[in-house]
Amino acid sequence: MSKLKEYLKTLPRRLGKTAAVVGAAVVLFAVFLLCQGVNPLSVYANMIASTLGTSYGIGQVLIKSTPFILIAVGTCVSAKAGLVNVGGEGQFAMGALFSVTAALFIGDSMPSFFGIVLMMLAGMIGGAFWSGLAGVFKVKANMNETLTTLIMNYIAYQIVSYFVFNQLKDPDSFNWPQTSEISESLQLPRIWGKVTIGIVIALLAAVLIWLMISKSKWGYSLRVIGGNANAALHAGINVQKVQMIAMLISGALAGFAGAIEISGVEERLRQTTGVNYGYLGFLAAWMAWNNPATAIFTAVVIGFLSVAGNVLEISSALPSSAIQILMALVLLAILWKGKEKKSA
Amino acid sequence: MIIESLLTGAVQSGTSVLLTVCGETVTERVGVINLGTEGCMAVGALSAYIVCANTGSPWFAVPVACIMGGLMALIHAYFVISRKANQLATGLTLMFLGLGLTAFFGRNYVSVSVTGFTRVKIPLLSDIPIIGDAIFNQDPITYLSYLICPLLCILIYKTRFGLILRGAGEDENVVFAYGHDPIKMRYIGVIMGGMLSALGGAQLSIAYTHTWIEGMTGSRGVIGVALVCIAAWNPAKAFIGAYIFGAAQALQMMLQQQGLEISSFLLMMIPYVLVLIALFITSIRRRQTMPAELKKVFESVT
Repeated sequence: MSKLKEYLKTLPRRLGKTAAVVGAAVVLFAVFLLCQGVNPLSVYANMIASTLGTSYGIGQVLIKSTPFILIAVGTCVSAKAGLVNVGGEGQFAMGALFSVTAALFIGDSMPSFFGIVLMMLAGMIGGAFWSGLAGVFKVKANMNETLTTLIMNYIAYQIVSYFVFNQLKDPDSFNWPQTSEISESLQLPRIWGKVTIGIVIALLAAVLIWLMISKSKWGYSLRVIGGNANAALHAGINVQKVQMIAMLISGALAGFAGAIEISGVEERLRQTTGVNYGYLGFLAAWMAWNNPATAIFTAVVIGFLSVAGNVLEISSALPSSAIQILMALVLLAILWKGKEKKSA
Repeated sequence: MIIESLLTGAVQSGTSVLLTVCGETVTERVGVINLGTEGCMAVGALSAYIVCANTGSPWFAVPVACIMGGLMALIHAYFVISRKANQLATGLTLMFLGLGLTAFFGRNYVSVSVTGFTRVKIPLLSDIPIIGDAIFNQDPITYLSYLICPLLCILIYKTRFGLILRGAGEDENVVFAYGHDPIKMRYIGVIMGGMLSALGGAQLSIAYTHTWIEGMTGSRGVIGVALVCIAAWNPAKAFIGAYIFGAAQALQMMLQQQGLEISSFLLMMIPYVLVLIALFITSIRRRQTMPAELKKVFESVT
């Protein structure tokens, strides 16, 4: 309890510092816009009005944040075990591929609830399979997981492309590379406007993972390994096993995000489904210094920026790459600030 | 004939990766990993293209590209060395920044064409059977890369400067004890890396493809970082991985042109799978030669 109290007590000060550096990034981007002959004030006003000013906008932010939350929390789990999993991108894609395959196979053959659960399980298996491969490479062959997960992202993209252009291509799509739409019974129930229960599931999963890391025995061994792998070895912890499980959970969460995206947002798989989500989720986790509770917040910030970016394209005639620049600046600002030192 | 064009393609496509591997090798030798190499490369490719399109002079474009890439790397250096920010996260953010900036500023150059560098045939040498055309009928940046690799080897292994440079990546206290500033050496290493990656990017845009499209570096920077590990942090071995990657790219394009019944997506996987296999072989065969300071980066993720 005292930990929580301390967390809350220092929260305003820490938030204040973060707000200051993020503000600096926002000002820097404003200068950039001015140089492009665009009025930054109207751009920012537009961004806020269209995202937080309407219930539709808020809904969009929640929808967009869902995959970022899951991927970010997944990244936190592996990071606690001392592993850098940059493979959210590929694990998300494999999750989406597995779940859409399951969905097309299931069709209308079973009650909605069971169908959706199966679909989500397929997504988790897809993601865990992809991260598990990297885990095996790490544990059995000592291959650096940062490099393997990064490279496997590109392989996953090609695999997804292959399937949407071949076996899974919608025969009625006039050669458009996408799968058929999944059955209506397999779409996640909506709770508010276009927002599905996906966001609730993501939040629950995030809290569950946070509890698991901070309260369970397994979470303890996880943190020991992340602190010092040698010490963990001497303490009789099976480092490889814990790392492998962390990797599987991490990928399963990303795959889960892929399944939710298919079932709740896209309703079919395209080549472009979830492009960059993995990297953004990873960066959300690092912005939160791999604390799953904080990662929820940073993931929502990234979700907000993503939605605002789409608005920018329509209202200010700026290309979508402009928001990529803003995002990078915000991230750099937070990295510049650095991690708050823990008071002993 | 087929082998010859495959080899030519391997060198053409591999040069940009080779330069990136060389650059990232220097960076990692001083104990810093820069995943933002991809961003440096993209910035180099675009700035070279813009200069080339506006002045018509590729020779002027090359130094500009190097400077821009060096500036990108300077951001990385400042963040990870002076601010002690997480190297992997900063690198990834820089990759984002580089790809975003180039997509933004490059959008008006997509339909612009440039002459850039053309292939220069070296007499006699290019007549050597099979390999002659591949090695000695290339663009000037590729010839430059033939010089850069051995020069880097000499610099790193045979000079006092190289010794201090490596020292900064192994044990900064020793460098300090010898009266040198490890911080300065790290900055130099990271910036050199960015400049070489940007040169690779320039080769891609103004010497090899003569086009600019968003995201044209297509993961070459990321692959470059992986290949450094495979080359065991030795610039002399950089060409092996780089040209194999180039050959895989060339093979994939050739097979596609032949209209083979294999999906292009499966072919496009080949280079990545090869890199994975190479990583596998190196990690089980060789003892860890990773610079000590770099090991710390990977060990302190939480």
